[in-house]
Amino acid sequence: MVRTFFLSFRLKNTYRVNSIIYSIKQLPLIKKILPDTLYQNHGLKIFGNVISALIEVGTTFIGKLLYLWLMIYSFISMYPTNSSETFLHLFFFLTLCGGLLNTYLFNPTRDKYYAMFLMNMDAREYTLSNYYYAMLKVFIGFLPFTILFGILTHIPIWLSILLPLFVVMVKTMINYFSLIDFKKTRKAKNENVPFKIVWILIVIFLALAYLVPFTKIVMPIWLFVVLFMISLGLGSYCFFKIHRFTEYRMMYKQLFANSGMEKKTAEQINKETALKQIELDRDLTSSKDGFPYFHELFVKRHRKILTIAVKKQALVLLLLSVAIFIGVLVNKDIKSTTNGILLMWLPYFVFIMYMLNRGTTITQAMFMNCDHAMLTYRIYRNPNVILGLFRERLKTLISINLLPATIIGASLAFLLFLTGGTTNALNYVVLFVSIIAMSIFFSVHYLVMYYLLQPYNVNTEMKSSTYSIVQGVTYFACYYMMQLKLPTFYFGLVITLFCVAYSLLSLWIAYRMAPKTFKLRN
Amino acid sequence: MKLIIEHLKKNFGSKEVLKDIDFEFEEGKIYGLLGRNGAGKTTFFNCLNEDIEVDDGTFYLEEKTTRPIVSEDIGYVLSTPNVPEFLTGREFLKFFIDINASRIEQPKSLDEYFDFMKIDVEDRDKLLKDYSHGMKNKMQMLVHIIANPKILLLDEPLTSFDVVVAEEMKQMLKGLKKGHIIIFSTHIMELALDLCDEIVILNKGVLEKIEKKNLDNEHFKNRIIEALKEE
Repeated sequence: MVRTFFLSFRLKNTYRVNSIIYSIKQLPLIKKILPDTLYQNHGLKIFGNVISALIEVGTTFIGKLLYLWLMIYSFISMYPTNSSETFLHLFFFLTLCGGLLNTYLFNPTRDKYYAMFLMNMDAREYTLSNYYYAMLKVFIGFLPFTILFGILTHIPIWLSILLPLFVVMVKTMINYFSLIDFKKTRKAKNENVPFKIVWILIVIFLALAYLVPFTKIVMPIWLFVVLFMISLGLGSYCFFKIHRFTEYRMMYKQLFANSGMEKKTAEQINKETALKQIELDRDLTSSKDGFPYFHELFVKRHRKILTIAVKKQALVLLLLSVAIFIGVLVNKDIKSTTNGILLMWLPYFVFIMYMLNRGTTITQAMFMNCDHAMLTYRIYRNPNVILGLFRERLKTLISINLLPATIIGASLAFLLFLTGGTTNALNYVVLFVSIIAMSIFFSVHYLVMYYLLQPYNVNTEMKSSTYSIVQGVTYFACYYMMQLKLPTFYFGLVITLFCVAYSLLSLWIAYRMAPKTFKLRN
Repeated sequence: MKLIIEHLKKNFGSKEVLKDIDFEFEEGKIYGLLGRNGAGKTTFFNCLNEDIEVDDGTFYLEEKTTRPIVSEDIGYVLSTPNVPEFLTGREFLKFFIDINASRIEQPKSLDEYFDFMKIDVEDRDKLLKDYSHGMKNKMQMLVHIIANPKILLLDEPLTSFDVVVAEEMKQMLKGLKKGHIIIFSTHIMELALDLCDEIVILNKGVLEKIEKKNLDNEHFKNRIIEALKEE
C-alpha cells in the first residue's frame, strides 16, 4: 500500500508539475523564448516541483487558517457568550457541515481518475492510502491554528491539540455512513452535488452554529468533550470498517460516470452548456437578409441568456430600488446614511456594474455557438464581414446592458432626491451619466477584448493567457474600486471621461486590428 | 486555371512541417493528398486557407494572368463539420446564399439544394445542433459547393458518411471537378485511387506526385506505400 501511495503521489505531482510548466508556457512574451522541449528541462522540473510542494503546503495550511479565522474566530465577538465555549460551539457544528461537504472519498477528482482508471492502479490501495494521507493533512493542517486560536480564546491547550482529531473522526464517520449508503442503494453520491437531505442538514447545522449563540446558549465544554470522546470511539470503528471495504473501484466507476469526467473534457462540457442556451421557437424568425439576418437570429435564439436574462435582472433591480425608496421614506436613519452613501460611494458601483454586465457569458456563447464554426469559413473572416458583425454585436450588447443600467442610474438619482438632495444639482446628472458610461464601458470592453484576443482554439479550448490576465486585471481593478470612497461628483466625472475615452480608443483599435486578430487560435 | 505553390515553408518551433512545397495543381482534376499521420496535410490546407501564416514561399492562381488568392477562391471542408448550431438547416442555407449572392450564377430554390444533397424534408427546419455528424457534414459540403469556389480543399470528408452517402458524395465530386481544382486528403488508399485523378504524397515536408504511367493498380499501390515509407 505504501508503494501504491508513493506511485500515486508521484503521478499527481508529475501532472501538477506539467500543468505548471504548461501555464508558464502560456504567458505572453515568455512563451516566445521558451523552447518546445520545455518538459524535458531538468531545472524547470525542479522549479515546478518547488511550486508543487508550495501548493501542497499551502492547501494544507492556508485554507484552514482562513477557515478558523474568518468563519469562527471573527464571529466570536458578535455573541454575548463566553469566547472559548463559543469557539468550540461554532467549531463543532461547522465541522459537521464540513464533514458532509468535504469528504475526500466521495469527491471524484481528476487525479483519482488518472490513477485508478487510466493507470489502472489498485483502487482500494490507492483510495485508502490517499485517504489516510488526506486525513493526516487535515490533522497537521489544523493543528497549529487550533492551538493558536485556542490560546486566543482561552481553550485548555490539551483540548486545542485534540480538536483536529475531531475533524478527522467526523469526516471518517460520515464517510463510513456514506459507504453503508452506497452498499445499500448501490448508488455513490458525489459530494459536489449534495442531496436534499444534505442541504437540509447543513442549513440546520449552520443555524445551530450561528444563530443559537445569540440566545446566550452555547455548548458547554464538558459536553463538547463527551461528544469528542464518542466521536473518537465511533470514528476508530469507522476507520476500521473503511479499511475493510473492498468495492472502491465500483464506487468510483459510478462517481466518474455521473460526474461526466469519464469521457468529456471541460471543453465539451462548456460546449454542451453553450448549446443548451439555444432555443428554437417557430416565432423566432427574421425578415432581414445576410449578416443582419444571421445576427438577429443569434440574438433571438439566445434570448435565454440575452434579453430574458437582462429583463429578469432589471426587474429585480427595480424591486430592490422600490424597497430602498420605501425604506428611505419610512426610516430617518436610513435616509441620512443613504444620502451620504450616494455622495461618497459611487466607486462601489463600478464593481456592481462589473458584476451585472453579461459580457463574458455572451461573448462565450458567441464563440461556442457561432464563431467557432463560422470562423472556419473564409468568407466570415473577410474584414468587412468581421467589422459589420462587430458593429451589430456592439449595438446589441450595449443596448441589452443599458436596460439595467438605466434603472440603476435613475434610481440612484431619484434616491438622492428622496434622501434630501444635494447642494450641487449636477450630482444628479453625474450619478446617472456615470452609471450609463460604466455600462457602455463594460460592454465595449468585453467585446473588444473578445475580438482582439479571441482566446479559443478550434477545440474550444481557452488558449490565451493574455485574455485571462486582462479578465483578472479587470476584476481586481473593479474590486479595488469598492475600497474607494470619493466624492461622487469628481469620481463620476473622472470615471465618465475615462469610460468615454477608453471606449473610443478601444473601438478605434478594434476597427484597425480585429480583421487580423479575430481568428481561431492554433 | 492553375494553383501554383512556390517554396512554401512552415515550421512549428524547431519542427519543419512543410519544408519546401513546390507544386502546380490544375483545373478539372481531383487530387488525392496522401500522407502519414502528422505529415502535415492539415497544416498544408491551413496554409492555403490562410488560417495560419506561412514562414516562407508564395501561392497564387494562374488564369490568363496570375493573381493572389482571395477568400472567395477557396472552400475548405473540414473533417469535423462546422456549422452554426443556432440556425436551422434552411436558415443557414438562406444566409449562405444571401452573402454569396453575387457569385451564384443560377440560384435555385432552397429545397432544390436540399434535394440535391438528399437532406430529408423533415430535417430541413431542425436546428443544426440536432443534426447528426454526417448530416452536418452534408450541410457543410453543400454550402461550400453552392459558394462555387475555384479551389475546394477537402480534409477527410467522406469518413463520417455511411457507405450509401459516401458513394453519392463521390459521384457528386466527380461531377463537380470541371472548372474546379479539388484537393482531397485521405488515409484511405482505395478511396484515393477510386476517386482521384492524381495522387500526391506529402512526405518529409515535400509534395510529390506519384505517376501511374503503365502500372496496374496493385503495383501503383505498392509504389505509393514505398514512397510514404521513405525516410
